Amino acid sequence: MAAPAEVITAALLAPATAEVSVETRLAVRDRLLAAAPGLVERLPPGEQVVLTIALLRQLGRATPGPVRTDEPFAWKPAFVRRSLGLAAVEACLAHRFRAPAEAVGPVAAQAVAEWERSGWRTFHWEPWLATLGGGARSAVLAEATTWASTLWTSLDWGQFRDPPRLGGPDDQWVCAASRTVRLKGRSEVRAFLPARPGRSRAGPLATAMVSMAGGTPRPGCEVGLGYLALVAALRSPSRPAPARVIGIWPDAGQHRVVDVTDRLLMDAGELVLTGVAAVVDSTTGPSVDPAVSFGA
Amino acid sequence: MLVTDIDSRRGDRPAGSPCRPSARSGRPNGGPEPRATGSWTPLAGEALLDRLRFTGRPRSPADPARADGLRRCLEQGLGLVLGPALQVDRAPLVITKGRLNQATAGAGDQCGAGFGERPFTVAIACGALIDALFRQLVTIGSIGDPMADGLAALAIDDRQAPLVAWIDRLPGAQHRLLADEVRRQASNLAARWPALHPGWLPRTEESMRVGLVGGAVELSARVDLAVGRPGLEVASVAIVEVKSGMRRPEHRHDLHFYALVEALRNPAPPFVVATYYTRTGELDVEPVDDELLASAARRTLAGAGALVRCPDQTTSTSPAAVGGDETCTGLHCGRPVGPTAQDDEPASAGRAA
Repeated sequence: MAAPAEVITAALLAPATAEVSVETRLAVRDRLLAAAPGLVERLPPGEQVVLTIALLRQLGRATPGPVRTDEPFAWKPAFVRRSLGLAAVEACLAHRFRAPAEAVGPVAAQAVAEWERSGWRTFHWEPWLATLGGGARSAVLAEATTWASTLWTSLDWGQFRDPPRLGGPDDQWVCAASRTVRLKGRSEVRAFLPARPGRSRAGPLATAMVSMAGGTPRPGCEVGLGYLALVAALRSPSRPAPARVIGIWPDAGQHRVVDVTDRLLMDAGELVLTGVAAVVDSTTGPSVDPAVSFGA
Repeated sequence: MLVTDIDSRRGDRPAGSPCRPSARSGRPNGGPEPRATGSWTPLAGEALLDRLRFTGRPRSPADPARADGLRRCLEQGLGLVLGPALQVDRAPLVITKGRLNQATAGAGDQCGAGFGERPFTVAIACGALIDALFRQLVTIGSIGDPMADGLAALAIDDRQAPLVAWIDRLPGAQHRLLADEVRRQASNLAARWPALHPGWLPRTEESMRVGLVGGAVELSARVDLAVGRPGLEVASVAIVEVKSGMRRPEHRHDLHFYALVEALRNPAPPFVVATYYTRTGELDVEPVDDELLASAARRTLAGAGALVRCPDQTTSTSPAAVGGDETCTGLHCGRPVGPTAQDDEPASAGRAA
């Protein structure tokens, strides 16, 4: 059952309770660099594996089914809702609008107008949206409005002392090899946490992330949330690893709070290897003994 | 208590509402003429909104114990009716309103034949188009050419591609029949349906999914419209289902199922559930109380029992694609049970050249 937004936000913004050691970060990185190339050896040369939290969640289902990776891309409302929804929530936080339902239309129109004026695509979907007539366009706006309203009501925005970062570029880390493995991490909200008791605020502040997903959380979803922290930690080795990740599943009224620990980061590293192996298996057929590949 | 605006005798329809009585025959949705005759006129604007907002009943306070009790009752009952069929390591048994309706309406007759994809009809096409137009009206406040807008909205939803293709192939007379009915209903809808304040957080096609018994069973619903902020200290969410066809008894059961799922996922149940009939302008409003929720829970248990007695009906979901939805593959399938997080990943994940 959904916790009130105030409770989730208070959990998000509480001082960090744990800190990942430098040694663990290096160890996980080394583990991935050592094991991942072997897993992708069976792929045709030049191909790469791209892992996302969505893909890992798909693999985590009781009956994951085949991993489909070869669908041609085509825009649809569900691909627009997140970026447009985040922009709408951001506009509401800037007090430009009272609620997402009011913000989504103008924000979309502004993005299209800006693209038409300058050719610059902030969201990438502007040219597609510009071609749509009223009915199709409203379907896109409706999808984004529902998504944004859900995020808007999931957190208590008044509790943020420092403005949170909404969306932004994905975290990415590439395990370079003849067939690369690219990890992509995406969170909806990133917040700065107060310094831990006894620590000064002189250095970079710890951060916490919010990931909002559809459906229901599956067993083991906490490690999936740790994946987001892992990618952020790998991407920026000189910055503190995210201290906390909160997963919100509004459809189910569920949330999970995970403090990022050494153990969680290591488990997330193993999840990455499992995911890479599953993607490779879906492409080439299962290996003889996956356990050997995982070094389990 | 079922409150219907059919009982209203108020003459509070705003000027210009084209709630004309129709004398047309051969209606795609079948059934008798709408009841918009005599002194009764459909509610519109503020009056319609008031009917939805003010039920005459106190709103339930948020009470985690209520949701816990409902969950406990359901899980105990599911344990009894499903027994060995409950397996947490398998794909969940997904229970939707459609599955419940079919399962509770004589599942024995339907186990072999009635489950599965329904063939398209003009009525189904009309329903899909009106759903899209209702969503458009709620979102942007207007409807242009109803057929053009409705088809355009369906066309960018790849799950509706077969229906759009079917509509395109309709013979001229049937296509005209469909278009006429869609235009008539859309016109009435636009004239009657009130604008919703953005602060009420209107959400269309909101997905609700609640896992039970460790995820072995999942209650899944998608409501046409949810209004109001969830998670407040008193029930503040209204759920509205839009129907383009004629009133059916199962529509009330659908509403009760929505109320149950919402009550399980949020601290407070919705304060009201309603069906809006675009064909007639009727609004059936039902305040939500504990009795309604308990009744919905009992029906869900009965339906779950009937479902597992049907061979092959426990198959529930299969991931369609990295960027796709979970699609109902069992009975009443043909419509995805809800988008998942994957939909938010436009960049192709997995293997990439």
